[in-house]
Amino acid sequence: MDYKGVQQAFENFEKSLRTGALFVIDEFLNKLADTSPEFSAELTKQDMTVLLKLRDLSQGRVLTFKGGKVTGKDAVETDADAQIIFESKQVAQKVLLGQMAGNMEAFVIASKNGSIMIAGPDQKTLWFTSLMLKAFSFDILYQKNYGVQMPNGEMRYVTGTNGGPLFVYVKDDKIVRITPIDFDADDAEPWTITARGKQFTPPKRTTVTPYSIGWKSLVYSPSRILHPLRRVDFDPNGDRNPQNRGISEYQRISWDEALDIVADEIIRVRQTYGPGTVFGVNSSHHTWGNIGYYQSAMKKFFNLLGATEMLANPDSWEGFAWGAVHHYGGSGRRGATEPFSTVEDCMKNAQMIVFWSADPESTSGNYAGQEGTIRREWVKELGIPVVHIDPYLNSTAAFMGGRWITPKPGTDVAMALAIAHIWLKSGLYDKDYVERCTIGLDKWQDYIFGKTDGVEKTPEWQESITGVPARIVRALAEEWGNKKTYLACGGIHSFGGAVRGSYGTEWARAMVCLMALQGLGNEGINFGGLQMGTPLDTHFWFPGYSDGGLSGDYLASAAGVQLYNRMPQHASQNSEYQRIPRLRIPEAILDGHAEANNYSNSSVHGQFLKVKYPAPGHGEVKFLYKYGGSYFGTQPESNRFAKMYRSDKLEIVVSQSIWMEGETRYADIILPACTNFERWDIGEFASCGGYIDRSYLQNNHRVIHIEHKCIEPLGESKSDYEIFTEITSRLDMGHVFTEGGSDFDWVRRYFNATDLPEAVSWQAFMKKGYYVVPPLPENRRDPLALNWFARGAKRDTPEQIPAPSEFYGKFAEGLQTPSGKFEFESQTLKRYNPNDPERLPICTWIPSWEGPESELYEKYKLQLISPHPKYSYHTMGDGKDSTVNDISEHRMLIDGYRYWIFRMNPTDAQVRGVSHGDVVEVFNDRGSVLFGLEITDRLPPGVVHSYESCSDYQPIGIPGQSPEVNGCVNILTPKRFITKDSHGLSVNACLVEVRKWEGDIGKWKNCMS
Amino acid sequence: MEKLHVIVDLAKCVGCFNCMIACKDEHVGNNWYPYTAAQQKHDQKWIEPEKHERGAAPFTEICFVTKLCQHCNNAPCEKASDAITRRADGVVLIDAEKAKGDRALPKACPYGKISWNEDAQTAQKCTMCAHLLDDGWKEPRCVQACPLRALSVVFCSDDEFAKMAKAQDLMSLTDGSNDPRVLYRNLHRLNTCFIAGALAFQDEDIQRAAADAEVQLLQNGEIVAQLKTDFFGEFKIDRIAPNSGTYELICSLDGYEPIATSVTVADESPCLDVMLF
Repeated sequence: MDYKGVQQAFENFEKSLRTGALFVIDEFLNKLADTSPEFSAELTKQDMTVLLKLRDLSQGRVLTFKGGKVTGKDAVETDADAQIIFESKQVAQKVLLGQMAGNMEAFVIASKNGSIMIAGPDQKTLWFTSLMLKAFSFDILYQKNYGVQMPNGEMRYVTGTNGGPLFVYVKDDKIVRITPIDFDADDAEPWTITARGKQFTPPKRTTVTPYSIGWKSLVYSPSRILHPLRRVDFDPNGDRNPQNRGISEYQRISWDEALDIVADEIIRVRQTYGPGTVFGVNSSHHTWGNIGYYQSAMKKFFNLLGATEMLANPDSWEGFAWGAVHHYGGSGRRGATEPFSTVEDCMKNAQMIVFWSADPESTSGNYAGQEGTIRREWVKELGIPVVHIDPYLNSTAAFMGGRWITPKPGTDVAMALAIAHIWLKSGLYDKDYVERCTIGLDKWQDYIFGKTDGVEKTPEWQESITGVPARIVRALAEEWGNKKTYLACGGIHSFGGAVRGSYGTEWARAMVCLMALQGLGNEGINFGGLQMGTPLDTHFWFPGYSDGGLSGDYLASAAGVQLYNRMPQHASQNSEYQRIPRLRIPEAILDGHAEANNYSNSSVHGQFLKVKYPAPGHGEVKFLYKYGGSYFGTQPESNRFAKMYRSDKLEIVVSQSIWMEGETRYADIILPACTNFERWDIGEFASCGGYIDRSYLQNNHRVIHIEHKCIEPLGESKSDYEIFTEITSRLDMGHVFTEGGSDFDWVRRYFNATDLPEAVSWQAFMKKGYYVVPPLPENRRDPLALNWFARGAKRDTPEQIPAPSEFYGKFAEGLQTPSGKFEFESQTLKRYNPNDPERLPICTWIPSWEGPESELYEKYKLQLISPHPKYSYHTMGDGKDSTVNDISEHRMLIDGYRYWIFRMNPTDAQVRGVSHGDVVEVFNDRGSVLFGLEITDRLPPGVVHSYESCSDYQPIGIPGQSPEVNGCVNILTPKRFITKDSHGLSVNACLVEVRKWEGDIGKWKNCMS
Repeated sequence: MEKLHVIVDLAKCVGCFNCMIACKDEHVGNNWYPYTAAQQKHDQKWIEPEKHERGAAPFTEICFVTKLCQHCNNAPCEKASDAITRRADGVVLIDAEKAKGDRALPKACPYGKISWNEDAQTAQKCTMCAHLLDDGWKEPRCVQACPLRALSVVFCSDDEFAKMAKAQDLMSLTDGSNDPRVLYRNLHRLNTCFIAGALAFQDEDIQRAAADAEVQLLQNGEIVAQLKTDFFGEFKIDRIAPNSGTYELICSLDGYEPIATSVTVADESPCLDVMLF
């Protein structure tokens, strides 16, 4: 490439701009086209004229694009296709020079001030403004100055996934391999923790999960949708045949036809039925990257349309969000505590670690590859005793060893109360802490001692409920009461399958109350299982995926934390107020009404407010626009969705998906999206920001990375951003959605908004693809989480929540409770409804509505738990003919079909006459699912296990009414809320029975791909 | 000279299967001639962790035993076919062309780690990613993807490796007669049993865990193992040979009569019901 020619073109253009000849763009573009056939080809894509001028008509030039050439002529009045009018010479200079340098501030300000006006058909103006921005990134986009050239001719790029960043080796536009990232000598040296006379330093590399390293097989999956599709019997101008959704085949159509149908239907539905009638719903998760994430591009898209939103339940936190917050706040973390420096404290000071419904080895904490594994290995080396409380001998327990305790699902609270009983009776708790830092223990103690209900909550009492021998609970309680103990609930600080069961609120409350008795925040006494709280630099700012991306929605995302004042952009906001609770989507559509509580990140009491559908003045949903197709796998009682999709209440269903699976098979129009390997993005390893602020503290290194466009999109697939651009463009608001450019331009804008430019140049970052943030020296590490609270001091950690108004006393003093103290008796619950038997002001034991104490137990004798999966991330990685399916622990190959695995104790199997390797039918009143059976001693009798979230939904007969073969565990789980005034799922309160499948097992042999 | 050796540590394997997926990532869809043709997507697994369980609740243990071509110095496959070559670094390779049509070759491997590729009509197995090692990579893909390096490579002379094996108690998967280049650490989790149990005593109407009780395991009057119970009053005696017969277990706690019982070890790990002093 003629690098000198390019440089000359830029110098000349800049010079002419600075000297006041503002619009000599034709020369600039032609010169670039001379050096790059690819850029030259870009110019052939549109024939048009555009007039650029100053408002006072003192200067103007019309550019004519024809046949790949640009000609320019000075003029101020002409009937050009498009016009761009600048208020003044200064504005034009600032905007264009800024954009050249990748700085969009002048453009955004001018645009907001009306100092730059763009007129003309949206598709034409957008083409021109995008072309200019492409030209300004010529070095990257056309000179291809990105990625690392390997000696063997391969290019090495970088991308991110839900399970860690990757190197991506590419040759001839094909991915050769993907690997975890081994750092080089220039990358920052890692931290060292000194504990008990030993030094611990993580290796200089990243770790990955199997669903990350299997991504190549997902990119090239035969399930990829390569062309826009229309259901054969869907005619937008005639018969729509909604009853055939999930049954009929599809036919290939052009992008123009697909996009025209979608755009026309958006207008028709909203004009006919009013606001709220288009429903935009994301899937449980999306491909990694802060620009392409659903809280970024999709958020802005639906904000611009005006759409009913899906009200998300805090699905991994549930019991913490709806329960624990009432004792100690933390609403902004959905009931979790701050994580700072807890890994070092645990290694130095803890004398025992209790993992209670905690399996970070399976869940990666959240997004964090296998980063925490080495720290749990160190704990083995340090000899800190561990205890695991989980009905399933989970991967963390299997790896770490230690005592495995198996309360029956849904009964853990009884065990926790018995532990508290021992502590209170024998004085094995921190009386000074309770005196100084808590209120209301007397009320809880009265309950535990049986003064309020006549039942003393002794270890012997709990034995008949939990099945755990009293002597084990007593031994644990005495050890715990005498030793500084860390408590891990779930993969990070506030998860765990136990929060997703009947009254999971009470379990989470029990956990935090136990920790308060032991002096939460004192050295060696805190939450965590070595998964979160590494000594990384928390002061280097790079946002996470929930910080809003390009959305500009600082109300409905965490953009308000910092992105809003760092990245110049236009705000966007949904002007429609209708929301449908995720757990009631089918009811809302089919019955026309639904309600649930609205979880509030900003206050504890906010969660008492209800969301009702339909909202006043809004119409019922007629148009469902689904982004990804995971709900059959991830949502409870999921046969409901098949019934909903096949209803004529939905006049049109559009699915924007990468793969043909799950709900995608229920759409009328399918828009094929590409993966993040095929588009530009930017992100950070395990960083979601927002509700898990500084979640990168799960990692051994902070790795901020570009997501190179490694290969061209497969088939006709397009990036989500491009699809949204094309649709908004048909509504003449493409320039509003894009602000003039492509997703690449947003990535560059985003980079400039963060702390990255102070550490690494854009060019160097694009080349290497990642930056490792150096850890701070030991004397600048963050103070220990909640230690300030235990000491009675003001908060000294970099925690950003709660909102100032949530301190009822003085700012940053005490917890987010009315008293500022830990409240064993919650004042927020007392004020809201002191007599709610499902959530009293104190934590109590409530038998499950669907457990051994329930009536249903007569009929269904097995308790099913369905935790987050180990080998796939929700539905990602599973199915799609990916290599993950070959993992013998993930799916079981029987007669040519890979069945989802269902696990059962040998005793239960014997009683039912089923054996290892059988195809079994698991059923209850909600439905039936076929699985491959594994017999294992990882479960006690009476409890069965199968991970949630298989990727596909394959009923063998009428959808919604037939046995399902792909392993949709959630067909069996209840839709009931964990407690009535909430919006939380209770999938682990699930009774089933199992029988050998006697039907055909051959006919679905090929449906994996 | 420096040769390649592999150590598999059962205690460090978390069962993530990254090794198998990384192997597929490297070899499915990529021909690395002359080292090997591409691996079949689903029907071949050149490396695979196999789960092994011991005991029953609450003493259940899980480990994964990762199996791959052992790159034996005394390889049965080498004797069965002239398609097998051994490199100076010890890596054993199958010539894809020469092995074409030789459907008997997979049977020559006692570890079951040569498999038949229906697409390429040839026998295949792990190459140690020799194409990458020759290109300057330090580790094969399976090792590079392993979170704790439960799989690791050691480049040293065979003599040095033999010394290391002795010092670190590295074992071969079977009897070692094939002189494998892949050795295992903590293999007792696969090929031995444990005896586990719990002790308790009655304190008025409360049953308490007998912590710090003395537990002795004897066979033919000889003490095989001796340890104290943990704070749950429980014990686990590991590395008992399967089918090693009957043992005597004597448990003592100050102030109580000792408990004596006999335990027979067959091929499963006995997990005893709670015993009361």
